[in-house]
Amino acid sequence: MTTVETLNQIFKMVFDDDSIQIRPEMTANEVDGWDSLSHVNLITTIEAKFNIRFTQKELLKQRNVGDLITNIDLKLAS
Amino acid sequence: MNDDMFNIGSVCTSQQCEKGLANKVAMRWIDAHGSCTDYTFGDLERHSNCFANVLAYLGVGKSDIVFTFLPKMPEQFFAFLGTLKAQAICGTLFSNFGEDALRDRLGDSGAVGIITRKSLYKKISRIRHQLPALRFIILVDGDDDPATGVFSYARLMSEASDEYTVQPTSPDTPSVLHYTSGSTGKPKGVLHRHGSLQSQKATTQDVLGLTADDIFWCTADQGWVTGTSYGIIGPWSLGVTQVHYGGGYDAQTWMNLLATEKITVWYSAPTALRMLMREDETIFTGADLSALRSIFSVGEPLNPEVIAWSQRLLKHDIYDTWFQTETGAIMIPNRPGIPVRPGSMGKPVDGIVPAILADDGSPVPDGMQGNLCIKTGWPSMFITFLNNESAYNSKFKDGWYYTGDTAYRDSDGYYWFMGRSDDVINTAGHLISPFEVESALLEIEEVAESGVIGAPDDLLFEKVVAFVNLHERFEPTKDLEIKIRLHVSNRASSIATPQEIIFCESIPKNKSGKIMRRVLKARYLGEDPGDTSTLEI
Repeated sequence: MTTVETLNQIFKMVFDDDSIQIRPEMTANEVDGWDSLSHVNLITTIEAKFNIRFTQKELLKQRNVGDLITNIDLKLAS
Repeated sequence: MNDDMFNIGSVCTSQQCEKGLANKVAMRWIDAHGSCTDYTFGDLERHSNCFANVLAYLGVGKSDIVFTFLPKMPEQFFAFLGTLKAQAICGTLFSNFGEDALRDRLGDSGAVGIITRKSLYKKISRIRHQLPALRFIILVDGDDDPATGVFSYARLMSEASDEYTVQPTSPDTPSVLHYTSGSTGKPKGVLHRHGSLQSQKATTQDVLGLTADDIFWCTADQGWVTGTSYGIIGPWSLGVTQVHYGGGYDAQTWMNLLATEKITVWYSAPTALRMLMREDETIFTGADLSALRSIFSVGEPLNPEVIAWSQRLLKHDIYDTWFQTETGAIMIPNRPGIPVRPGSMGKPVDGIVPAILADDGSPVPDGMQGNLCIKTGWPSMFITFLNNESAYNSKFKDGWYYTGDTAYRDSDGYYWFMGRSDDVINTAGHLISPFEVESALLEIEEVAESGVIGAPDDLLFEKVVAFVNLHERFEPTKDLEIKIRLHVSNRASSIATPQEIIFCESIPKNKSGKIMRRVLKARYLGEDPGDTSTLEI
């Protein structure tokens, strides 16, 4: 599976919604239930599934799904 | 005063129009993408009238219960006001509630209808068969499906008259329903009455200091009491313009909103303020907050560091206010005109008589911790726990309401919050029942038993910590930890999610099987657990 496909599965699981289709420009405002607390669930799940760890600085700079994908790919490549 | 003077829906709309404010902006609605729509008091009047007529068409009668289950959006406000005009009871549900939380609330209340949207309706449809009283669902973005009792909001509203005559409404007529968590059992339905308006209006004037020219922004979700008492009722009953924003937390966006909308009074929560403290300071030093007069906070105690941060970067004090779902309106606040003692709850508002009492009801001297109690009889005092009169009665003794909070009063009359007298967890300003989280945990196949406590947290005030004992055939893994987090989040709500999960061999219980959370908390904090003579090893 590609990063986007895996991330899409994680979104469906975290937000309990099988219809979610992520897009790079998608933000928290477009997903029901994506608040600051469920964001912790999202990050924890991403870190576990991809076996990576975000820094505090990276987390603060992530503004949309595209930023998440970029960060994940960079970490997987390094 | 005429009887209809007490109808909250009418006061917030019709009466403002009668005062000549029909063309004044009541709500500047800014959606998540920044698009702006203004709704005047005349618009509020028409939309809420239409919704009251929709309810009549659907056969909703006085004291029937109708819920809103929506994120912050204009339809939420129209439905709330229209339901109250119809003298039905309006319950509001936080849009992040999961199926368990929804079933508990909709089931206990016997709600006849709900207004929601398609993406949230999925959760309702999964539990619909367990809600026999639920007759109709209105979808703000959906089509009619008569076979399942689903109605299109757009169609219903377009066919409804925008004229509605509110029937005489006595102050004791039930109005708003919010569910709140206790340390045992299911959440309890806190029922208010239209007469609560008197307290909400008075505190909006006297504490928040709102006047006709103000532009007010309350960030609270309408699923909670602050969102209804001060995000709807208080300001609109005074004809004050409110900004409502449909997006989530974002420091830069929030500062831009304060600046461009020229917000004069801002009401938010300590957790949000602490999140702002973690952001780059240039966001605040570059913000034009010249219109801002006052910042207020509610939900959990505000630490002095936040006030110092605000004084330094926002150039304002933050006035912390204390109240509860049960009190319906602000009881003990800091406010302009009274020197702020950072970390204190402040002083009681006019007409509110608090006391610090021992468990036997005797007064506790200043400086000593005890039960924070309020003398009964204030206008916004809740009128019952729905279907649970005995629990309601247990909150009162000798003319005092026992809040469940402990506090002390200093020699100058300031009150200082100390904690809860029960096991309820205050996380990010929301009360969480450990029982609810434990119940959700037990639904997980791997979990044999669990015990849930609140532990101090720098951001959330308290975080949910779950001690989990697995069935013998299962091992703790990272994947299981994630499964547990997501299960609680999706079945209860995101706010109930355990921030820390501790796998353990057993859960301490007393001889009658009650989970000894006190022992778990002491274990977590590395403190002496005290008397453990009743502990069943």
